[in-house]
Amino acid sequence: MITRTTTAISEARTRAARRPTAPFGLLAPAAAVVVLLFGGSLALGLVQSLGYLPAAGMSELTVAHFIRVLGDPDFFISLGLTFYIALTSTVVACTISVAAALALNALAGRSRIIYFVFQIPLTVPHLVIAVAVVFMLAPNGLLSRLMLNLGLVDSSAAFPLLVNDRWGVGIMAAYVWKEVPFISLMVLAVLRGAGSDLLDVGRTLKAGRWQRFRHITLPIIFPSLGAACLIVFAYTFGAFEVPYLLGQTYPLMLPVWAYKSYSDVDLLSRPEGIATGLLIAAVVTAAVALAQSLTQSARRRGVVL
Amino acid sequence: MAQRRARHHLPAFVVFILLVAGLPTFGAALSWPEIESRAKGQTVDWFMWGGFPSTNAYVNGYVAPRIKELYGITLRQVPVKDIAEVVSKLLEEKQAGKSAGGEVDLMWINGENFRTCKRHGLLYGPFADLLPQQKLVDWSKPSVKNDFGEPVEGLESPWGSAQVVMIYDSRRTPNPPQTMGALLDWVRKNPGRFTYPAPPDFTGSVFVRHVFYHVAGDVAAWQGHFDESRFEAAAAGTYKVLKDLAPFLWRQGKTYPENPIRLSQLLADNEVDFAISYHPAEASKMIHDGLYPNTVRTFVFEEGTIANTHFVAIPFNASDKEGALVVANFLISPEAQLKKADPTVWGDFPAIDLGRLDKDWQEKFAGLPRGVATLPNDVLQKHQLPEPPSEILIRLEKGWDTYVLKGR
Repeated sequence: MITRTTTAISEARTRAARRPTAPFGLLAPAAAVVVLLFGGSLALGLVQSLGYLPAAGMSELTVAHFIRVLGDPDFFISLGLTFYIALTSTVVACTISVAAALALNALAGRSRIIYFVFQIPLTVPHLVIAVAVVFMLAPNGLLSRLMLNLGLVDSSAAFPLLVNDRWGVGIMAAYVWKEVPFISLMVLAVLRGAGSDLLDVGRTLKAGRWQRFRHITLPIIFPSLGAACLIVFAYTFGAFEVPYLLGQTYPLMLPVWAYKSYSDVDLLSRPEGIATGLLIAAVVTAAVALAQSLTQSARRRGVVL
Repeated sequence: MAQRRARHHLPAFVVFILLVAGLPTFGAALSWPEIESRAKGQTVDWFMWGGFPSTNAYVNGYVAPRIKELYGITLRQVPVKDIAEVVSKLLEEKQAGKSAGGEVDLMWINGENFRTCKRHGLLYGPFADLLPQQKLVDWSKPSVKNDFGEPVEGLESPWGSAQVVMIYDSRRTPNPPQTMGALLDWVRKNPGRFTYPAPPDFTGSVFVRHVFYHVAGDVAAWQGHFDESRFEAAAAGTYKVLKDLAPFLWRQGKTYPENPIRLSQLLADNEVDFAISYHPAEASKMIHDGLYPNTVRTFVFEEGTIANTHFVAIPFNASDKEGALVVANFLISPEAQLKKADPTVWGDFPAIDLGRLDKDWQEKFAGLPRGVATLPNDVLQKHQLPEPPSEILIRLEKGWDTYVLKGR
């Protein structure tokens, strides 16, 4: 009897142990590609950032390039600027998206066109959005000319600087414009799946609008909202084209800095460019890990979010 | 005795010949008709800066179809933001041991990148002598013989020549300043109405070199070997002039246009009063295309402006070298050079010596319409300054970044 039970248990254990291997086996080809291409290029990048570039006559491994990047007083200015822009545009996009998703959820039943219009920016590349922002917000852009014709400003010089400006307004406008539909659609998918039963229950229990949002809607959408925001943050932190077109000449956002060093005529700057790129990757990874662990511990402490 | 020794060396000599013949240095061994027949059916990928609409139109609308028609070669333009990206790529391929089958067959390259490529053995050649049309090129001209102070040595083939001009609107600025010194004064008196692209942009960088020549008060001293302490003094003076000028620039010099295209937009939008171009006929072309009003004109400084020759080169691992050679040869044919010089097409100045052409061709070149904003040839030629060696260029770009942009 006891033996049979033990056998049964051990069999179950073996089965349990074997079961996960099947999905791993299925995942292996995709995982191999990711590890090889992604990990491989990361490793190559690391080697080059450590100064191994035999074709340019550099073959000694050294952390000097990292030290030079980190020792540059501009690095922390650029890092701060990049953080500020990535964080602000993510928070703004996130806030607008939640409002937009709620409105769309109420409206989309009536009008499919609104829903469709909302998806259009998803298909447009960041580069195009950045150019569009230049045309619209530049001192001689559409908006400035419109306001001039309407007599709202006296001259194009009176129009505030919104492109290549000190506070990165142009960059953030481009990112918000591009990311709002993305986050909204992620949130909307959850909202539609959840239906309105819980909200009805809330209403019967006399929960106000804000209470229903805070205690019912927000907990439902939070996981996908958080994930979408992390993706947006990571992208904004590491993307090159938008800050290249809309940023100031100095200080630079980190991705533009990395590109500038990498494509420098002086080949000795290349390892610095790659080192900067790896530092960007490290910061993004750390930010994602931190965000994950914060949510986990919040959940463990029973915070509903 | 001597004979015996010679015979003794014979086997080694034979082995050497066999080895050399077996090497893929076909260029020297092949005759031009053989190269042309091998090139047939090849696809040449030409990497170049894609920022000039007129250049792109010339390459895709004229060169590519003509090359197809004449030689059966498919020419594909690959526009890049900066040819330095391609240099990085080649270096990577060299490192990875990819000595054949490279993606880049031909590249439009500038002096400092040529220098990098040459020093790291990233170029195929020397090949310039193989090209039959090379007879039209005057290799004794200093600006053809050297590319930014770096001897060309047949590793590049010229494509065109260029000279810096200042662009202005004669309706807005009837009397533009005629010297660099006068321009600097003008900027101080008209705050916010002038700017230049941020180096390392090609055009921004050449503007800084004009200021450098102005501050140094001498041009000839920087050709070839130069005195380090004199350079330091002149460079420091240049940075000081530009740093002090910054508050008077467009947007108080807090930001700069990233390239000449953006600068020409600013001029067209009446945000600034001058643009700078390394192409003397570009302003006329832009008037022709409706991007500038027809009151726009150009001028050169009384002390002269920098002129140079621009080149194409073939990477060491190009997969379609024969095709690239045929394209490089076609580019300096009278036909292609004439089309390129047409101001309604591009208006780029010829790389060939027009005196070496026969009468018919000479008349065709003389008969080209001259854009309303383009200066006459003799005015341009009388006001040409040489480029300094690329070492000076690189140091000035770095110095500008540190002292002018970051204000250290």
